Amino acid sequence: MRRGSAVVKRFSFVLNGKPVEVEVPPAYTLLETLRNVLHLTGTKDGCGDGDCGACTVLLDGRAVHSCLTLMAQVEGRSVTTVEGLLRDSSPDEVQSAYAESGAVQCGYCTPGLIMATKALLMSNPNPSVEEVKEALRGNLCRCTGYAKILEAVLRVRR
Amino acid sequence: MLLYDIDVITPSSLDEALEILSSRKGRIKVVAGGTDLIIQMKDGIIPRRDLLNIYGLDELRYIKLDDNDMIRIGALTSFSEIASSETIRHYAKILADAASTIGSIQIMNKASIGGNIVNASPAADSLPPLYALGAVVRVASSRGSREVPIESFYRGYKKLDLAEDELVCEVRLRAMSDDEDGIFLKHGLRLGDAIAVVNAAIWVRRDSRSGLFSDARVALGAVAPTVVRARRCEQLIISKKLDEDSMWNAAKAVLESISPIDDVRGSAEYRREMSVNLVYMGLWELTHRSG
Amino acid sequence: MVQAQRWVGKPIPRRDALEKAIGQAKYASDLFPEGLLWGKVLRSKYPHARIKRIDVSKARSHPGVVAIFTHEDIPNNRYGPFNKDRPVLCDDKTRYIGDPIAVVAAETPEAAEEALGMIEVEYEPLPAVLDPLEAMKPESPKVHERGNIARQTHISFGNVEQAFREADIIVENTYTVGTQIHAYLETEAGISYFDENGRLTIVAGGQSPYRDRHEICSTLNIPEDSVRVVIPHVGGAFGGKDDISVQIHLALITLKTRRPARLVWTREESTIAGTKRHAGIIRMKTAARRDGVLLANKTEIIYDTGAYEGLGPAVLDVAIENCNGPYKIPNIDISATLVYTNNYVASAFRGFGAPQVLFAIESQLDAIAEQLNMDPIELRLRNALRRGDVGVFNNKLIGSVGIAKALEIAANHELWRERERYKSETARPWIRRGIGVASAVKGYTLGALPDKGQVGVELTREGKFRVRVSSTEIGQGVLTALAQVAADMLKCGVDDIQLVFADTLETPDTSVTSASRQLFLAGNALADAARKMLDKMRHVAAGLSGEPPEVFDFLDGYAISRDGKTRISYAGIARYMENNNIPLNVVGEYEVPRVEPIPGTLEIPHLFYMFAAALALVEVNTLTGFVQVRKLVVIPDAGKVINPQTFQGQIEGAAVQGIGYALMEEAKIENGILKTQNFSTYLIPSIKDAPEIEVIPVEDGEETGPFGAKGIGEIGIIPIAPAIANAIKDAVGVRPLSIPITPEKLYWLIRSKRSENGSQ
Repeated sequence: MRRGSAVVKRFSFVLNGKPVEVEVPPAYTLLETLRNVLHLTGTKDGCGDGDCGACTVLLDGRAVHSCLTLMAQVEGRSVTTVEGLLRDSSPDEVQSAYAESGAVQCGYCTPGLIMATKALLMSNPNPSVEEVKEALRGNLCRCTGYAKILEAVLRVRR
Repeated sequence: MLLYDIDVITPSSLDEALEILSSRKGRIKVVAGGTDLIIQMKDGIIPRRDLLNIYGLDELRYIKLDDNDMIRIGALTSFSEIASSETIRHYAKILADAASTIGSIQIMNKASIGGNIVNASPAADSLPPLYALGAVVRVASSRGSREVPIESFYRGYKKLDLAEDELVCEVRLRAMSDDEDGIFLKHGLRLGDAIAVVNAAIWVRRDSRSGLFSDARVALGAVAPTVVRARRCEQLIISKKLDEDSMWNAAKAVLESISPIDDVRGSAEYRREMSVNLVYMGLWELTHRSG
Repeated sequence: MVQAQRWVGKPIPRRDALEKAIGQAKYASDLFPEGLLWGKVLRSKYPHARIKRIDVSKARSHPGVVAIFTHEDIPNNRYGPFNKDRPVLCDDKTRYIGDPIAVVAAETPEAAEEALGMIEVEYEPLPAVLDPLEAMKPESPKVHERGNIARQTHISFGNVEQAFREADIIVENTYTVGTQIHAYLETEAGISYFDENGRLTIVAGGQSPYRDRHEICSTLNIPEDSVRVVIPHVGGAFGGKDDISVQIHLALITLKTRRPARLVWTREESTIAGTKRHAGIIRMKTAARRDGVLLANKTEIIYDTGAYEGLGPAVLDVAIENCNGPYKIPNIDISATLVYTNNYVASAFRGFGAPQVLFAIESQLDAIAEQLNMDPIELRLRNALRRGDVGVFNNKLIGSVGIAKALEIAANHELWRERERYKSETARPWIRRGIGVASAVKGYTLGALPDKGQVGVELTREGKFRVRVSSTEIGQGVLTALAQVAADMLKCGVDDIQLVFADTLETPDTSVTSASRQLFLAGNALADAARKMLDKMRHVAAGLSGEPPEVFDFLDGYAISRDGKTRISYAGIARYMENNNIPLNVVGEYEVPRVEPIPGTLEIPHLFYMFAAALALVEVNTLTGFVQVRKLVVIPDAGKVINPQTFQGQIEGAAVQGIGYALMEEAKIENGILKTQNFSTYLIPSIKDAPEIEVIPVEDGEETGPFGAKGIGEIGIIPIAPAIANAIKDAVGVRPLSIPITPEKLYWLIRSKRSENGSQ
């Protein structure tokens, strides 16, 4: 199988708490690696340009666009995706809050929003409405009009 | 386009990075956070070249206030770090304000001030504050290092005073004192993240006795090939009593300094009006603050 | 014994919500079949060009490339829901930038992308026609052989000219409306493969598995029973996945290579090649009497359908039907034209032609109220349609008509009653506030077009039910609502309802998921199925107990005799039926009532209409033209709310799409090139742009709907743009006649008024 004129390198990182190694072109993005190589598809591909937030993951605990993160930038770091929030296959409280508040419609933006919410709550467990809006302003949702997303986040603040 | 045919080299120190830059002069492109560069390369806006990935060089991540009241910001410092830094919020508030509008949290977490400076977008939100605060850029190469005032760092649209073997390492600003004030203004087309139609920063020093501005800098972005200082406007607000008419007059003087173009975000004519109105609104805010 | 509604009306969370929130729900773009080929589409560089030569030889021999297809591989190279005008792959010419020319199938995405650059297409650029008014001139370049008028019609009731002569006031304006892009977060995507029985299977985002199958089979000339179309969770649709996107290309790759394939559009591809909301020009002349009674409305509608019709002919009908608003107007005259241009293809988008014309008529109403110095809600109430009224097409309104009630709620709302107080609360001298109102109307169902759907219900051996519908879950929550309806109809718990959906092999044809009517249609077909199922079960209960069937009723999973002495569980009934080879499944059917279309139309009038009123509070920065919506109150006529949580979510989401439509979503097209191809240039509202939204349903019940429900999927977007426009007029005294009302457009409007007044 040909990979064009590709350079392929080996990268090691921690994915959802487990060490993984992949062999991919070093300028592959983390998003391409998660979805197309590892077939871990909870992280969504909405635009590929860092404009929609659907691909948000945590890189060393901070929310980043996996579509704008090169594999070379992931080497040696820790990545958490929406799948990694499950504990013994039970959902995280943020995931439950989104599901129960009606914050999920088509759901394609949901994993990215949940990761952005998680990052917010890790650094600020009791955010104001304004702080929630600032933290989620880069995550586009076309279905909900955001009211129930806000409701879901406010439900899990301390 | 997919970036599968590009090699990425990750140095483990600044010295190593500078050596690679020097040995592969012009044939390698530095990537910091990558939030602009990756898109430009995918879209074919910039040539596809191997990448020097300095994202892991933590020695370039810092915000320090030194004994001479100078703020030193490492080039890789992210906009999240800048926006939330107590030092920046207290001593260079307009930079903190600009940093927090530069993009989404995800962009702020990854994009760096050095990257924003080198990317040289005329609409970059960090640049008008850096102009208004009189920032100096420190660049280094294996030959040594030098300092360049931000205004002379830009020689034209995306043309930098930066040799192929040089890397931007630090930005330096003077900490603002109590008699200084400033404001960052941005006109975007939605409340969420948006590239500026026009952005501006105003810095002033207030004379404690008269209450007038004893010094001022006004810088505007997205209205010329580089960020520009509006010097005529500055002259019109220094040591003048500012009422409605004189504020409008000063604001209209920015037209002498700008040369906007039409693009998808707005016409040149609209940008001219927005430049004036943004500066007027900024002056209004500054004169209505208890100073 | 009548069982109260146990599930209908409850705000239960959507059944797919948690699965989506934990990242386990599979969308078409999440599927990677073993041994797949990566598909890529080569698209036209020119808005209008003759194709002189296509040479794929170099690309075909590129390492990793397995096949390349062109029009020569398509047996019947035209498709389309009304008029088959659209090629699967362009042959004689290309008609817009984005028209597909070739499909590549390769072992890797890299090889597929490289191959695109190696296909040589020799074009002869032709003059392009990009302005619909230009396109209507006979001397214009022809997009299609038959000319650029795709459809034109004229409808008249009463005598408008005479009414204009007798009117006290006349308001006349020309409105322009821009192209809106659906901008769903999941782009068009799918996979294809041969299943273990050798059936060609397409799993792709869509809105109608049966129609997609029909288009695949008719173009590729293969029998319909050899193809299975499955529509999994869809990452947003809003009408944009009503047309074919990846389906035929995928089928082609797998059919010819016998290998599985994957084809996912990039965001840029989606904004270019996906369908859009029609841009248009609406001229309107409206007459009223001094007391506010509307006398006449004359409308000219021109919609730009771009290179192909798509669902454009029906969209035009909806525009015609609703351009007079929810009002009694004795004299109307409508000329409507659907025009081909070399612009991007317009088809279905939530509201389906209505948001454009409602922006016009609701702006007209506001202008009339202003001239008459009358309260805008009072003016609307004076003319509002009521149940039993005869509509503008001489059609009797037999369904529920909730607009007057919605307007009354608006009139009594604090935001309206205390609007002067709200308006005075501004923080800067250059900020102005305003409050506006608008009504909305749109038919749901396919109107006068035949529309029939089936639902299967099966009793499982555990005594639960499997409900089979071809309805698609595009984010709207139809499956959850149907489960609630089914549980109350079949007298069991909502968790006892399993839904199988959107699969031509596993589900009967429940017709297309569009026109806000899937709950109405499937719900009614389900009622028929439930009746049949319970009837069967009643007879089994009788057989088991020796009591007559008519003594049995059903409650909570049991058949219970009238005296309460005999209780037989559904599981018991199921076992008996299975053991005695009594079929456990039934099919219910519903045909939507309709009337004959009036001459000159395809589907007018509908028998059933949705209504809504909305209030908007806006804040305008007069120095930038930027508008912030501070609050929306949306009052939809819901019939009966089946699930308050999903109902509110639908209305809130539609309202925010309406804000985008009104203020910021501007597909900028220059010389046939879309300048806003991604989310940094095509701006949709973010959480910071979304205001507080209050949703107040009117629940008067629609007898023909399941438990009194009617359609609500589209109505939420329709009143938003005019309410915002009217609020802007209230704030700054200028009336926007063109949407989107971008900061720049509004700034110049305000500026021109300022220079008229000679001030700063």
